[in-house]
Amino acid sequence: MAMRQTPLTCSGHTRPVVDLAFSGITPYGYFLISACKDGKPMLRQGDTGDWIGTFLGHKGAVWGATLNTDATKAATAAADFTAKVWDAVSGDEVLSLAHKHIVKTVSFTQDSNCLLTGGNDKLLRIYDLSSPEAAPQEISGHTSAIKKALWCNNDQQILSAADDKTIRLWDRSSMQEVKTLTFDTSVSSMEYVADGQILVITYGKTIAFYNALSLELIKTVEAPAPINSASLHPEKDFFVAGGDDFKLYKFDYSTKEELESYKGHFGPVHCVRFSPDGELYASGSEDGTLRLWQTAVGKTYGLWKCVLPEDLGSENPEQLYTSTPEIKA
Amino acid sequence: MATPVPVLRLPKGPDPNSRGFDPNSPRFIALCRTSISSSAASDTDSEQLQKEQHARSVLREGFLRCLLSMTNKKVQFQMYENVKVEATFGASDIDVLNFQVSDLHTPIGVQKEALIRCQDVISFTFDV
Repeated sequence: MAMRQTPLTCSGHTRPVVDLAFSGITPYGYFLISACKDGKPMLRQGDTGDWIGTFLGHKGAVWGATLNTDATKAATAAADFTAKVWDAVSGDEVLSLAHKHIVKTVSFTQDSNCLLTGGNDKLLRIYDLSSPEAAPQEISGHTSAIKKALWCNNDQQILSAADDKTIRLWDRSSMQEVKTLTFDTSVSSMEYVADGQILVITYGKTIAFYNALSLELIKTVEAPAPINSASLHPEKDFFVAGGDDFKLYKFDYSTKEELESYKGHFGPVHCVRFSPDGELYASGSEDGTLRLWQTAVGKTYGLWKCVLPEDLGSENPEQLYTSTPEIKA
Repeated sequence: MATPVPVLRLPKGPDPNSRGFDPNSPRFIALCRTSISSSAASDTDSEQLQKEQHARSVLREGFLRCLLSMTNKKVQFQMYENVKVEATFGASDIDVLNFQVSDLHTPIGVQKEALIRCQDVISFTFDV
């Protein structure tokens, strides 16, 4: 008997959720951070969506948020012209890095020693977190606001996407531009999959997959609606995408076939990411909520409980919820 | 007709009274450095640890009593950039991020009601 997907709604934010990121898998599970226009990024337990804490300190909309691999540090990028580094265990602000304009994106190196930032001042900055007083290294080249920047190729290179409709690959040691991809329209999102060196890019209704080292196109897939974000499953069998029609789409990566679409959000989907174990994906929306979706619908995982058909009739109705009540913020 | 996947409960939402990061969670206890590092961090000298804990409790209690006795009194705040202001202390928020004050005397006038950001404060004095 077919089971219908039950998304888990994480409420708490009061404005649109514009970015989200998962940590790696730690001895305490994995974690999720959400960036929100209400200025209060939140940390949640990754497999259940349970709120752990809110990082207080920013004075403007938070546009980007990230966690380091072991979820001990968090970094956020905000409209108050700062990027902040936080202790993700205590919630305390550790560093505030002043910029000359709105900061849009932050990314840690694998060893958490350096932080890459980018924003409306069109510059990429690399901060050495062990000497934060030192001036950051700056990389210029983009002619418009940078919306996403990330480390790639073992932190030896940097990928940046900007409103100038380009994605640029930079060499970290020489600080020089290595390659550029130019598009007809603005790129809405970029995800880097280290294992396999794949770059997932979205623009218009297209989800495009590139080789992250050569920037050669692997394939493109068209979605039914404009897409704001997409994420490739760690095993590269599926990818998910969400955009302006409020729905989440699931595609087969090899065949490019649209497998499923899910309704649930009350506004455009701004970001979607697979968890590090691939068992679920999280979406952030204009409606101010995060939703968690199962990759294998019906499987017991996190808060989802697999129930066999013969159990459904006799199950104590108080123990299980069969549909989540929708509460509008 | 497909049945929706049952769930055990809904994800827990934020606590309206706190910023979270439960100090009693296993992760916090295992990973959190205290802001003043414990001298007995590496070896488990329980007697010394107890003494230190006692000292921490005394200091914390003293600080909280200080905040209580400051209520409705005139307090002088020494802040960064050589700023000295005086105000009538109202209350602190739970994480000691902001102090609510009234009649804040500043070089550009008196603010009837204000919030002072604690991280900007170096020290404060008041008459008991």
